[in-house]
Amino acid sequence: MNRAVLVARDLRKDYPMYGEAVHALRGVSLEIRGGEYVAVVGPSGSGKSTLLQLIGGIDSPTSGTVEILGTVLQSLSDRELTRLRLTRLGFIFQRFHLLPVLTAQENVELPMAEAGVPRELRRARALELLGYVGLGHRARHRATQLSGGEMQRVAIARALANRPALLLADEPTGELDAATGHEILELFRRLNQDGTTLVVVTHDDRLAEQADRVIHMLDGHIVIPERREAPAVPGLPASTA
Amino acid sequence: MRGLGWSLRSLGRHRLRTGLSIAGIAVSAAMLLDMVMLSGGIEKSFADLLLARGYQIRLTPKGTLPFDTEATMSGAIQLVTSIRQTPGIAAAGAVLGASLYGRRRDSLITLFGYGIQPEAQALYTIISGGDLSPTDSLGVLLSLPAARVLQAKVGDSVTLVGRLDPQVVTAAVGRTLMVRGLVRWVYDYRDQPSVGTVLPVMQSLAGKRPGDQASLLMVRAAEDSAAPAVVTALRKRFPQLEVNSVADLVREFKQRLVYFRQLSYILGTMSLIVTVLLIATLLTITVNERLGEIATLRAIGISRVSVVREVLLQGVTLTAIGSALGIVLGLVTARYLDSILTSFPGLPAAFSFFVPRRESLTRAALVLLLTGSLAALYPAWLASRAAIAEVLRAEAA
Repeated sequence: MNRAVLVARDLRKDYPMYGEAVHALRGVSLEIRGGEYVAVVGPSGSGKSTLLQLIGGIDSPTSGTVEILGTVLQSLSDRELTRLRLTRLGFIFQRFHLLPVLTAQENVELPMAEAGVPRELRRARALELLGYVGLGHRARHRATQLSGGEMQRVAIARALANRPALLLADEPTGELDAATGHEILELFRRLNQDGTTLVVVTHDDRLAEQADRVIHMLDGHIVIPERREAPAVPGLPASTA
Repeated sequence: MRGLGWSLRSLGRHRLRTGLSIAGIAVSAAMLLDMVMLSGGIEKSFADLLLARGYQIRLTPKGTLPFDTEATMSGAIQLVTSIRQTPGIAAAGAVLGASLYGRRRDSLITLFGYGIQPEAQALYTIISGGDLSPTDSLGVLLSLPAARVLQAKVGDSVTLVGRLDPQVVTAAVGRTLMVRGLVRWVYDYRDQPSVGTVLPVMQSLAGKRPGDQASLLMVRAAEDSAAPAVVTALRKRFPQLEVNSVADLVREFKQRLVYFRQLSYILGTMSLIVTVLLIATLLTITVNERLGEIATLRAIGISRVSVVREVLLQGVTLTAIGSALGIVLGLVTARYLDSILTSFPGLPAAFSFFVPRRESLTRAALVLLLTGSLAALYPAWLASRAAIAEVLRAEAA
């Protein structure tokens, strides 16, 4: 059995709204092991994205804890948490959020530059990752010169830059047409087969179908923690892991 | 994010806005620079003018400043002889300033006359021709405006006329002199027609001969550092006279022009405030527009320090470009303003209100860069405090 990459215990998240507390998460517990591909599905407002933000250390829970590779996020300072997000986690957003003034290659280099990777190494790795997502030929194009699907693939390459233990994606096909979305599905499948641990929040049934486990959420609760098959064996090739 | 310079490139995303902001900063920087030059330039220019030929000390009638009144002192030659014998003094000369007239055909032209001792003079430089000798009672030096109005050149003769009889407007004293040289008088205002003769001739023209009158005495100490000691010695020795070093005169001048300094401080401060507002506004708008981008950067692990650094870098870059343009603009406008101000009557043409000095340029540039950094602090703080989850939720909605 692979070790747990993520352990969430009794996560609760309340948002104040007009003086009332809105309960976005009502006690969610979750364990994700290395190499797993987990899809989180549910209707809008069910707490999927909130869950992703809490397990990604982007937001803090009202109560409960999140452990990433044995480190409790709630015990970390802001600086330590930022460092953990940089080196241990990879994020993919619905709207890609690439820096428009940078080229595809520079966007992928960004987290590595922040982590202090020497220029030559980070350039080589950025090109390698862009090749992995099929965009080696677009390395020098600015983000604004890329199509939606290409931007999302660059965002995936950026998320992989610092060899994260866990990749978190929030509606990664939400802004894409069906054909382009399919390319991203394929890429996720390949990533997982190469050993990447994935948690994907999605409305896209096709994405959910290819996951090892689908977590259904409703009103801030996990209602069906479903497991389809055993997690993939970890061991990304040197080029991606 | 070192080496990627994304924040600087971001400035190019809204070129018109960035360009207009830089133009605004340049105008403010130019104004600040002009005010810095004005605040220190007048006294620097005044001191340079007084020290143009190295004479550090002036003696005038008690209670007066050089050429401040028409008061004169008597026994000038004797005083100069006595001063020249004082230890530590390299040179001393008497000067008499007087109004007189030059005759051109049937008309008389108003001139200003300098009586000088050519062997110890600090009032002119020769442009063409020669100098007067100490005993040259037949020669005269003309400024270019004087040569023009008298239609004279080197080697010509000119007739100078002293006091007019107020009843019949005829000359009481007249002398025909040969033009030895054309000179630039250090303290002349623009287009001032001035002439110079040896002291006794001017005294005679001005009717001051009987008492051997002079308007001031100019003294050069052998060493600049010895000037204060020489001043003290001269004050003791000649208590009937006003003895001032150039530093004393500059101090007095500063006192008289204190309103100029106040004006320059006020306008300089206003230009700094405008710069701060411009940079802070531009960067705050930019940060607010890019909150989603910044939240994403923070989410993927870019530290607050990096975000702050990038925003500050934007502020400093805007300021640096604006300041560089502002320095050029400031120098051009200073030159233009200087030409207007120095054309006012009664000001020496060699005088300058705006003196570009390395210190003032450096000081203005440093103040601006500091201001730019300070102005970027608020937007940088705003960027660093972006609530990541909240912004990302809003972006996704």
